[in-house]
Amino acid sequence: MKRVQLEIIVGTILVLLSAAILIVLGLREPQRLADYDVQQVADRVEFGASIFESNCTICHGSQGQGIPGVAPSLRSEEFFTERIAEIGWQGSLEDYIVSVVTVGRQVSTRPGLYVGGGTPAMPTWSEKFGGPLRDDQIRAVATFIMNFEPYALGLVPTPEPILALADESDPIAFGQATFVGAGCVACHTVTGISSSIVGPVLDGLASRAGDRVNGLTADEYIRQSILEPSAYVVEGFEDGIMPQNFSELLGDAQVDSLVAFLLTLE
Amino acid sequence: MINALRQRLNIPPREEWRERIFEMIDNRVRIITAGLSIKELRAVLRGDPPTEKPNPRYKVITTSFIAHLRPRYYQQAATWFTHTFRLGWFTTFMFVVETITGVVLMFYYIPYPDQAYGSILAIESNVFFGELLRDLHRLGAEGMVLFSWLHLLRTYFTGSYKGPRSFTWLTGVILLLITAWLSFSGYLLPWDQLAYWAVTVGSSITESGPVVGPALNLIMRGAPDIGTGGLLRFYLQHVILFPLLAILFISIHYYKVAREHSISLPAVVEEGELEPDEKKEYTRRIDLIPDLLTHELFLTALGIFVMLAILYFRWFHSPLETHANPQQTPLDTKAPWYFWWLQGMLKIDPATILENMLAFVGIKVELSHLLNSKFIMGLIIPPTLVLILMGIPYIDRNPSRLASKRPFAIAWGLAWIFIVVAWSYMGTPQYGIETPAATRIIQDLAPEEGEGELREIPYPELQAGIGVYTVGEEIEGDLCPNLVYQPNPDIDPNEIVFGCPHLTAVFAEYSERLLEAQADGRLPDLHATFIVQQFQDQLIRIEPHVEWSDPETGSPKTYSQHFYLHEDRAVE
Repeated sequence: MKRVQLEIIVGTILVLLSAAILIVLGLREPQRLADYDVQQVADRVEFGASIFESNCTICHGSQGQGIPGVAPSLRSEEFFTERIAEIGWQGSLEDYIVSVVTVGRQVSTRPGLYVGGGTPAMPTWSEKFGGPLRDDQIRAVATFIMNFEPYALGLVPTPEPILALADESDPIAFGQATFVGAGCVACHTVTGISSSIVGPVLDGLASRAGDRVNGLTADEYIRQSILEPSAYVVEGFEDGIMPQNFSELLGDAQVDSLVAFLLTLE
Repeated sequence: MINALRQRLNIPPREEWRERIFEMIDNRVRIITAGLSIKELRAVLRGDPPTEKPNPRYKVITTSFIAHLRPRYYQQAATWFTHTFRLGWFTTFMFVVETITGVVLMFYYIPYPDQAYGSILAIESNVFFGELLRDLHRLGAEGMVLFSWLHLLRTYFTGSYKGPRSFTWLTGVILLLITAWLSFSGYLLPWDQLAYWAVTVGSSITESGPVVGPALNLIMRGAPDIGTGGLLRFYLQHVILFPLLAILFISIHYYKVAREHSISLPAVVEEGELEPDEKKEYTRRIDLIPDLLTHELFLTALGIFVMLAILYFRWFHSPLETHANPQQTPLDTKAPWYFWWLQGMLKIDPATILENMLAFVGIKVELSHLLNSKFIMGLIIPPTLVLILMGIPYIDRNPSRLASKRPFAIAWGLAWIFIVVAWSYMGTPQYGIETPAATRIIQDLAPEEGEGELREIPYPELQAGIGVYTVGEEIEGDLCPNLVYQPNPDIDPNEIVFGCPHLTAVFAEYSERLLEAQADGRLPDLHATFIVQQFQDQLIRIEPHVEWSDPETGSPKTYSQHFYLHEDRAVE
């Protein structure tokens, strides 16, 4: 066989094989496109979760459970069933979340429940209005929050949370984790951990706590301030801003470790 | 009566019809093929000699515009596969692939920072064959860079740049630069982290220039940093300016080959001592039609098939990292592989080397404020190298092309291959850059971008493996011994995995490397955990958490990262 003929024959076979590959890929294409959409939602949830963890947990709680007096839960049944009707929102809940995250909240809509950390009640997050987030990031956060729905509506049982940020056997580390996890950071400054001036700055607390109230040791004073915040209010701050229900929210071990941690703030 | 009608309408008698129709078709075919009759076409396809005189196959070359760009023939030895490896041809092939796929991609792409990344996602998720097109475009780009480099090496080692081909070599080096810039400018367009930072690092070289540096930088990026203006500039260069320049220089380069000096003969044929009839055979003409043309059509079919096969078996996939984020510098910034040599060079600090050399002979000087390393290694040396490369035919005056008669040139070429490979190795992200132990270990298991072992843990293993694992505590065997699952129930229902080998392996490697670092003193007082928790429905959160004391100051240090893995995530 001449070279020209061989090349024509092999070339034709290769063209047919290429066509076969294209046909097979083409038949798979609708499925691939559908899978890609599912994966993109998954990607957005993952991406949104990361953004949520670095930006939102300080007010909305480490797992979106909300912090009493500071910011509402984003995984409650009420949020998924009643919230948009209550606020009079016409669109979907996801769009509502996008809109709130984008522009923030200038004034609390439920001042009795959530005073907010001053004005505005929630900062704007979109980079269009001076925040740090792009549109696609905000959309991802909304997709992530929407993924709380199965838990919130009880469609899927909520697993026991592992409060495993620190080892419980080390009370100070555990206390520090509680300080962050229970939302104390939203209002109190501890240098290196948080910065907020809603409540008193806690740097150096250990050295002054013993002198605040006659008859109370530093340990007892701090414990009382957590469990019954109105018993003694530091000068310059209003009574009633700090949530009154930490005795219900925190377990004994958490309160003990929190006190132990705060006592290290010389 | 019929005969009268026939005559009036000028219809030939029945027996002549066949001939007349054949003649009509034959004329049409001659017009379409620019000179080949049906009979001739058949002979061409069969590889038979021409059927008419003068040879109608040469007529095509004079009458057809496309064919007139081609040479009439090559000499037989010039078509040896082992002489050219068809490298220049494949570079051109890739350029055509790039043009076609690129034009289609242009329909969908939006060159604006807010939307560019989204439009790439839309191409992948919403366009029929969108992923295939993008993969082809990326594969073609890498192929074009690869083939152009190989073509250069081939030309160098066969000594084909000498004599009449000096200028062709020069245009070839210019084409190499154009190819590199085409590829680099395309690198930015997806607007992901990979693109953004590779181009930020690459273009920051211009900034180091004296006096005009900042102005150059502004011209190139459109602003102090790459943003809307920069993206638009790169896009326009990528789709208009440089393709046009490439077409211009490919034309010049090829014109020289086709019209002036043809493909070089192998040195053994040109200079070696051959028998006259051998010489006659080796310099025999191989005509464009049919031999060269058939061969090129065959190579086209081969090229398309190989590219499609590579994509079909998923041996290549164009990367897409997360959205570009100017606020977040990735830990490992990676230039495209064909620029690793440049990145490697930038890690060399000439001031320190000179200081050390002078210190060796007893002179102590401070040079680092005089010699800007980025300027020297980025703006002085590479252009000098390019000039030397362009000038090779004018520097190398040795007239002989036989390898045995130009040992110095061959050694010089091999030495440069070695140097470029070494620089490329130095250009890989890990080389010469110290990363703290805990950061490095976690980054290796779960890189900021891309997959990594941690993200490849199948979801069932994560779900079964929820818990807190402490490094150093004895764990026997598998982390979740009771798990049994099917990794691919749809594809292979018989494949069953017991326990969680992936999760166990990741934790084992994490522990092992941390304990190693503890043992060699980088992480004293190590306390490390690996936390796997269910965060949402279908969403697992993993947190490697490392605490240690600073080896020098003793102060406590913490490093942790969090990773979220969704059940439906894409698994390669």
